[in-house]
Amino acid sequence: MSVACALVPAYRVAVARLAAPALRERPLIVADKLERGHALELCPRAYDLGARAGMTLVQAAACAREAAVAVADPARERALWERALDALDAASPLVEDAGNGTAFLEMRGIAGSESHYVASVREAFASDPELAALPLAVGLGPNKFVARAAALVRDGTIVRDGDERAFVAPLPLHVLGLERATLERLELLGVTTLRTLAALPHGPFVRRFGAEAARWHALAGGVDDAPLVPRVRRLAIDRSLFGEGTAEREDQLLFALRTLVARVAEDLALAGKRCGVLRLEMECEDGERHPLQTTLAQPTSQTATMFDLLRARLEGVVLRSPVVGLHLAAERLEDGGAKLSLFANRDPDPDVVGVALARLEAALGPGSALRASVVAGNRYEARVAYEPFVAAHVTRSARAALAAPAHDDARGTLAYRLLAPRRVEVRVRGGRPDAVGARRVLEAAGPWRVDEAWWAEALDTGGRPIQNDAYDVLLDDGALCRIVNERGRWFLCGTYD
Amino acid sequence: MVSPMPLDQRRAALDGLRAALAAGHRGASPEAFTQAEASVVRSGLGSLDAALGGGFPRGTIATLEGPPGSGRSAVAARLLATATAGGGLAALVESPNGPEGAFYPPALAAAGVDLARLLVVPAKDAAGIARAADILLRAAAFGVVVIPAVALKATAWTRLAGLTHRSNALLVALGVAASDELRYFASLRVRLQAPAVRWSGGTGLFCALAGIEVEAAVLKHKRAVPGKRARFDCTTFERDGAPLAAPRECVVRGVAAERTIAL
Repeated sequence: MSVACALVPAYRVAVARLAAPALRERPLIVADKLERGHALELCPRAYDLGARAGMTLVQAAACAREAAVAVADPARERALWERALDALDAASPLVEDAGNGTAFLEMRGIAGSESHYVASVREAFASDPELAALPLAVGLGPNKFVARAAALVRDGTIVRDGDERAFVAPLPLHVLGLERATLERLELLGVTTLRTLAALPHGPFVRRFGAEAARWHALAGGVDDAPLVPRVRRLAIDRSLFGEGTAEREDQLLFALRTLVARVAEDLALAGKRCGVLRLEMECEDGERHPLQTTLAQPTSQTATMFDLLRARLEGVVLRSPVVGLHLAAERLEDGGAKLSLFANRDPDPDVVGVALARLEAALGPGSALRASVVAGNRYEARVAYEPFVAAHVTRSARAALAAPAHDDARGTLAYRLLAPRRVEVRVRGGRPDAVGARRVLEAAGPWRVDEAWWAEALDTGGRPIQNDAYDVLLDDGALCRIVNERGRWFLCGTYD
Repeated sequence: MVSPMPLDQRRAALDGLRAALAAGHRGASPEAFTQAEASVVRSGLGSLDAALGGGFPRGTIATLEGPPGSGRSAVAARLLATATAGGGLAALVESPNGPEGAFYPPALAAAGVDLARLLVVPAKDAAGIARAADILLRAAAFGVVVIPAVALKATAWTRLAGLTHRSNALLVALGVAASDELRYFASLRVRLQAPAVRWSGGTGLFCALAGIEVEAAVLKHKRAVPGKRARFDCTTFERDGAPLAAPRECVVRGVAAERTIAL
């Protein structure tokens, strides 16, 4: 027994329940997002109710009506698993990270019995109170596949050398982690367990299912030659500036910040890295801490760029007492140099744009620098999506630069302005709008009906699926508007301009 | 006896004389003030660009004034399209919850704006709009910045005018009318109105908005001759359906100059 497997089944579900303990008693579906989302992972109870991973959230919720839905938090999931790996370092000098929720530990050469190995893994995991709340299963086996299968079968299962073939033989095929289509093909051939798979003749099986099948065949016999891969250690670059007086004025603070940034830039240069995120924490005399995080337009190790960005970010911060300490961490480290465009001299400088975006965010608050995109939708309002503007994308590809079109058309394109819907009084004559408020309707086009079904995510003001009639109307003062009749109530939704 | 000048020399002298006359004539005509291509942002609307002496001058504040429905946003969209199509960035500062509402991105895309290169900045009030414009112009990375024509103090417009000049950007203020301060600091003022609206098809379900006819008047121009007028059409941005029938006009008489959309 040289390998131990630490496994947290349904890791995303476990992390979601950790964040919201009230969900422990309910079936749970973890989705990527609430709006137009998909189910990523389910607890066994939700699975029994008929929900499946990969379904749209609407489908999954329809199958498992009593199930609660939680949105996955990849950052938290990863951070928690990094902590788990750090904790597992206490049990073995070689820990492999096999993705969130699974880790392999090399136990060869460690003094003690098999049960001691299992206990040491469990103990290491329980050293962190938050990790202790996760449902951990530990398996021990001669290789990674058998150790994982042991953990899957039952917590604390130990498979000794020579027993691996007999242990895996009755297990179902899904422990191999095959695609659904492959599983169905094998089931059609009558292969449902690893025993029947291992009994197939190696040559014809591999010829029929491809080179990858050679590995499945070996695993079905309990043979896994894949060695343990040590996990990559995260390089941490951070510097602090404490105990060198207080900064009461802006220029003092900026001087200290420039010094700190220069030190971090030096560390980055020594490590041959560039950073994509800067995390600054200011400690004030009254004990208050002000954390500030800023994302760089493109990863850099240049002092001037990092300092400009942090200074711009500081513009929106109000400090009530002098600063006694600064801590700056460089995160999202990357190797190599910055990618330059062939047409870089004509493109805007991403760093300059990044500083402008940081200033906008500092002055106007989060969500003040957006990029619009057009999405499919029935209603005008549903055809628009906004996302944060990313300065790294301002450099064009060579193809795009050469294809820059010049539009010379004698005609313009009518613009439309979306208004926050507001109630208006509309007089109807002959089933058509005749006056909006005190203004006469000269011409009206429509109606264009939108009738959304029960599964639609957007609801009207009464909490029902949207059902409305839209009209384009020209008023006697020349205004060109879009008005909407929603179950007898009229709203002004936009103007043409 | 004077021998006659050789033929080729006589031709060269004649060409020189013609060039000098053309240069002199051009120097005395309004067309001499036509802006060089690099110093203007062309709207792509031929008659409007001609009336402006080539386009909207860079490094200045320009206003597009007119009531809602007059085509101001359509002209602004063409300027944003020019800025983004040339590989640059453009910015749009707007108040989504204000009386003018927010620009509709599908309409901007139909006008030729590269939405990936357009920065949209939602601002709540006049101070936020001024602050956003200040930051964007200071970056000198945005060729065209469109803002609502809000009432700001003269000091704010002085600052914005200086930044606009330094960054060589075009700051476009869009509104029903310009305040006194804005009128003073704007190098270019264009007033727009839509004398006619075009509909296609019959009535009701068989009728659709086809576009508007826009009339633009150059009220002020510091770099070319003001007072010129231009007419052009703006068609609807929804191109997924063919026109139902030949367009017919609905002429709006007595367009209210100070029309608002507060119904």
